[in-house]
Amino acid sequence: MRPDIEIRRTLVSLLVRVGYPLAGLMILYSALPYWEMREHWSILIGYTVLTIICTFAPVSTYHARLTLNNAILFSGILLYGSWIAVWCAILEILIVSSLVRSSVSKAAANAGQMLITVWVASLFRDWMFGAFDASWWVVLDLLLILIYWLANTCLVAVGISCFYQSPWLETAIRMVKTGTTTYMLLMLIGGLGARLVSAYGVFAFIPLIAQIVAISIVFHRYFGGMKKLEHLNDSFLVTLAASIDARDPYTHGHSYRVAHWAREISQVLGLGKAQVDEIYYGGILHDIGKIGIEDEILKKEGKLSKEEYAKIQQHPVIGYQIVRQAGVFDELLPAIRSHHERMDGKGYPDGLSGADIPLAARILAVSDAFDAMVSDRPYRKGLPVEVALERIEEASGTQFDANIAEKFVKIIRNYPPEEFEIIMNKKGHWKSDSKEKTG
Amino acid sequence: MLLDVILFSFIVAFLRGGRIKNIPTFHKLPFLAASLLLQLCSALMPEWGGGFVSLAYVCMLLFFFYNRAHEDIRIFLIGWLLNSLVIWTNLGRMPVDLELASKLPYSIEPIVNGTDFKHTVLSEATHLPFLGDIIYMPLPIPRLISVGDLFIMLGTFFLVQRIMNKPISLVRLRAGKHYAARH
Repeated sequence: MRPDIEIRRTLVSLLVRVGYPLAGLMILYSALPYWEMREHWSILIGYTVLTIICTFAPVSTYHARLTLNNAILFSGILLYGSWIAVWCAILEILIVSSLVRSSVSKAAANAGQMLITVWVASLFRDWMFGAFDASWWVVLDLLLILIYWLANTCLVAVGISCFYQSPWLETAIRMVKTGTTTYMLLMLIGGLGARLVSAYGVFAFIPLIAQIVAISIVFHRYFGGMKKLEHLNDSFLVTLAASIDARDPYTHGHSYRVAHWAREISQVLGLGKAQVDEIYYGGILHDIGKIGIEDEILKKEGKLSKEEYAKIQQHPVIGYQIVRQAGVFDELLPAIRSHHERMDGKGYPDGLSGADIPLAARILAVSDAFDAMVSDRPYRKGLPVEVALERIEEASGTQFDANIAEKFVKIIRNYPPEEFEIIMNKKGHWKSDSKEKTG
Repeated sequence: MLLDVILFSFIVAFLRGGRIKNIPTFHKLPFLAASLLLQLCSALMPEWGGGFVSLAYVCMLLFFFYNRAHEDIRIFLIGWLLNSLVIWTNLGRMPVDLELASKLPYSIEPIVNGTDFKHTVLSEATHLPFLGDIIYMPLPIPRLISVGDLFIMLGTFFLVQRIMNKPISLVRLRAGKHYAARH
């Protein structure tokens, strides 16, 4: 690894693990005097109840489940200032971190992130409502939502890039692509709700709640339809993969296992659901090009001649062409074409190296190699898992992406033995399997 | 104490079709016993009351901590922690807002003259006053509660649901699923 990257990583890690929590503590400390004021207590209590309810009432969208907590925080900032939002954030952090097992450093960083977001937004609020007339709220609120969202996205992206070692800009862009519109919608409701309640009192909650319930029903229907379509797509892909594996009974379930491990890796890398799914399907289809290779070569026992080997090497390109002609799974193309590339550029078909190889292909290369090594073939027995892992470690940096290889070895070593057995014995009946795990 | 909340929780669980099958087991029960004993000591020796109550809260926290495998206990843990913070910082006594306390049907005399060994008057000098008993709860039994008590009530509700064999999982609620997996 280059030294300047190393330094940058250390700095980011320091910022997220120490800077975030420290800033959070300072913000908490600055909010304390406001909590102690007697006239603020009824607001504190009201927002406590709202926070508890919202923490357990998520709005489901296609990619993720969002809670209304950000909307609550935002309404607090708009109406009263940062102290009430800090209170809600602390309560939410307490509830979530006590219920969901997460490492202390991640929870602390997340807490810091929330508090900094609140602080930045309220700083802008104070400045804006000082500089402009209050009647400008119609525009200023929207601007504030943008600032809140921007601060939140950047801080979270830096946090994720620290804990999962992915480039932060890429992470930020992915977050924007997957969840932003819903996030904005919820924030808009929070902002409008705040104005409505401050103008008309507590009963303004009635139309607000009706609105939120209606939105979640619409979401539920809409995304339910999309899920059905996705399911259809799934069964189609699974059929295709089964037909690839059926040609060679000894590699039965290979595509499934490669896809499964690739999904495990991408989850550990902290990729979003959409990308994880993409890599999973890339794994299922990665060997589709083998359809175009003669049985004699594919099933040949013993050494292949030079020409035969060259033919085998064609399978990523053949697969690429098949899928490209179909024109439906364009996002899977890089994974299919490049899963036999090596980090040192000695792979095939294009001889790509390093970061030029698409991430999905780098992940598939590791899981493909692992499954090829450990599964039995007609002419040889599979290697013991530990030996295969050692080989992957040896080839880390030359054949495989060092980071991915390291993560993969860790995943396999920590995998529950019974589950590992089940996956290794999968021979094609994979329909009912762990689709749920993606969530 | 929380009789109304407990009763309400049992009624809800009963209407949901829950019945008691087996009483859940708890770990490290001595901590619970120690906590109760310390509270008793504080009543017998009021001059040391603050110290005993503070210790009793430590024991109770430890008891919850060792039983944190269940979600309802974790909610208790939050509530108890919030209450502990305000009790520790005020030398073993829970500050009570007199303005609201005067609405209650019973006398506030012991709090004012200091004979109530567990409560004290909320004043300017109180630390973390916002975690004290500042919420007036008129129904079903009128009382003053703290923010921590809100969590304790929530925890009670979920604990009773679990005892009645109709557990509600908060994690699953958060994930958009409505019922806990049956054990």
